[in-house]
Amino acid sequence: MPQHGEIISNEILKDSYRKVVFYVPDIAAKTQPGQFVHVKIANLRDRILRRPFSICNVTPDGMLTVVYKVVGSGTEILAELPPGTVCDLMGPLGNPFTIGDDDELPVIVAGGYGSAATYLLAQRSPAKGILLLGARSSDDLILTEEFKSAGFEVRIATNDGSVGHHGLVTELVADVMRENPKRKMRFYGCGPFGMLMALGKMLTRGGMDGELSLDHLMCCGVGACFACVVKVKDESNADGWRYARTCKEGPVFQAHKVYYPEEN
Amino acid sequence: MTDLSIDLGKIQLKNPVMTASGTFGYGVEYADFFPLDQLGAVVVKGIRMEPSHGNPTPRVAEVSSGMLNAIGLQGPGVEKFLHGEEYMPFLRRSGATVIVNIWGKTVEEYREVAAALDADREGIAALEINISCPNVKEGGVAFGTDINLASQVISAVRGATSLPIITKLSPNVTSIADFARAAEACGSDMVSLINTITGMAIDVRTRRPKIANVTGGLSGPAIKPVAVRMVYQVYKAVKIPIIGMGGIMTGEDAVEFMLAGASAVAVGTAIFIDPMAPIKVIAGIREYMDEFGIKQVSELIGAVKV
Ligand SMILES: Cc1cc2nc3c(=O)[nH]c(=O)nc-3n(C[C@H](O)[C@H](O)[C@H](O)COP(=O)(O)OP(=O)(O)OC[C@H]3O[C@@H](n4cnc5c(N)ncnc54)[C@H](O)[C@@H]3O)c2cc1C
Ligand SMILES: Cc1cc2nc3c(=O)[nH]c(=O)nc-3n(C[C@H](O)[C@H](O)[C@H](O)COP(=O)(O)O)c2cc1C
Ligand code: FES
Repeated sequence: MPQHGEIISNEILKDSYRKVVFYVPDIAAKTQPGQFVHVKIANLRDRILRRPFSICNVTPDGMLTVVYKVVGSGTEILAELPPGTVCDLMGPLGNPFTIGDDDELPVIVAGGYGSAATYLLAQRSPAKGILLLGARSSDDLILTEEFKSAGFEVRIATNDGSVGHHGLVTELVADVMRENPKRKMRFYGCGPFGMLMALGKMLTRGGMDGELSLDHLMCCGVGACFACVVKVKDESNADGWRYARTCKEGPVFQAHKVYYPEEN
Repeated sequence: MTDLSIDLGKIQLKNPVMTASGTFGYGVEYADFFPLDQLGAVVVKGIRMEPSHGNPTPRVAEVSSGMLNAIGLQGPGVEKFLHGEEYMPFLRRSGATVIVNIWGKTVEEYREVAAALDADREGIAALEINISCPNVKEGGVAFGTDINLASQVISAVRGATSLPIITKLSPNVTSIADFARAAEACGSDMVSLINTITGMAIDVRTRRPKIANVTGGLSGPAIKPVAVRMVYQVYKAVKIPIIGMGGIMTGEDAVEFMLAGASAVAVGTAIFIDPMAPIKVIAGIREYMDEFGIKQVSELIGAVKV
């Protein structure tokens, strides 16, 4: 059921990233890490569809935080909405991440808004682990202090070398694997599609598994329109794959169930 | 008391509001939002003989007051639709009036799907023939834009089932009234219109089409005036009932289609914006009837004053 969500605050987090807090107790109470809300932004005018956003954080008093990047017409309008504005939210939608046991080291691999989408996971993980954050440059690094406060170690890779490791975030994954040969680890990924494909392949090739949050352009958000699909393995199909709806069957998928084209 | 029940000849509905095929999944996706039997009918996503992958992504793009889609009719195939728990068995239990949208890549496939559904017809109120898909045998020309092919499809389906059939007309033709007349002549019990209007959108930064299929179908409020005009033209051309759709967001939009000549309406893209839209449209029609003292909803059909 769509819910009214009043904007409590809506401010700049860093550069084009913003943080909006909605008061939506019904959704906040049900939210599990990795789920998303489908937001009908107020005053959208001739832009009519809802926009999906991962839930960054929820509090027991009914607050729900979304961290978003201003990229187009909808997020531009959202950025202008003052506190007190009411939007219409559907959620929590999608399948959540699995929270690990306290003897497992959670390793979160994130890029873009991926750190926002996994912050609640870090908070709720019984064992504190490592965030491996990839970005083009230092401008795109968000929530690093918040992850540290949640007890996570933060390691960074940037394409331009402006902060941390100069290169790809997946190279940091190899380091973590080398450093912890005996430790039980649980991998999570959320970020750009290419990064998730690289991570998924690396994990499955190494005989490991993980959970990847794969999303795609959405429309209905509840599994009805088949807009948001990605390829997953399907042995019962002659092609070896089928299109799965990320809003309904995902966004979180087991890495070994995802179809990696070059391998097949 | 306002009476919303409507008689479509071969089927009777408790109210004139349906869901548009492809925008309401197979019903199960929205069952948490409201009981499906509150709708006049649930029209499910297009079904063919075999399972199909559908098109590559991106499959949708938002445009001014509407959207383009080229989903490519991803679906489970008729066997799974009839027997898979989340499809027809679920719909039968829901008590909804179910209309099954069908398609094929050849005339023969249309006939086969209709026959398969006819053989297992419990809970199916009617078939809606989607003729807007390309014919593989004729090199991809859409059945719905070639009047001979369209007639062949409708006749083939007519021959395969005694279920009521609805022909869903494509707006991508010069004279939609001609296609409606052909449908009536081939034994179609109703016509529904409009399907999406072919469109295209380009990302000017990357210079690439916004959807992978290059072109897609335009739907939503942007197409409503075109749809109302076509319903009006078809109403003057045929005697069989018309199901009108295209950009309906509110009860008043639905009334507009009925005044143009529709006996029933379908809500599509609006569901993506508000899953409760079909229920709100029903309530909106009722409010309009109360305001204007209309007792039976059929009084609205074709009542535009020109
Ligand atoms: C499950 C999920 C979770 C997301 N979580 C976040 C998040 O936490 N923070 C964040 O900044 N962004 C997130 N996104 C991306 C976000 O939805 C888009 O950036 C946003 O919709 C862009 O809207 P716009 O109107 O500004 O852009 P426009 O380009 O004007 O949007 C036009 C249309 O395209 C859709 N769209 C555009 N880009 C995307 C995209 N990358 N993914 C999905 N739909 C898109 C819009 O919803 C809209 O329908 C998420 C996307 C999904 C699918
Ligand atoms: C995502 C999407 C999928 C659709 N799939 C089908 C389909 O499977 N079969 C069909 O006959 N029409 C399909 N349609 C067309 C709709 O049923 C309807 O005719 C059209 O969208 C106009 O109505 P609207 O503006 O209210 O959406 C689809 C439309 C959309 C937006
Ligand atoms: S967005 Fe409609 S099926 Fe996922």
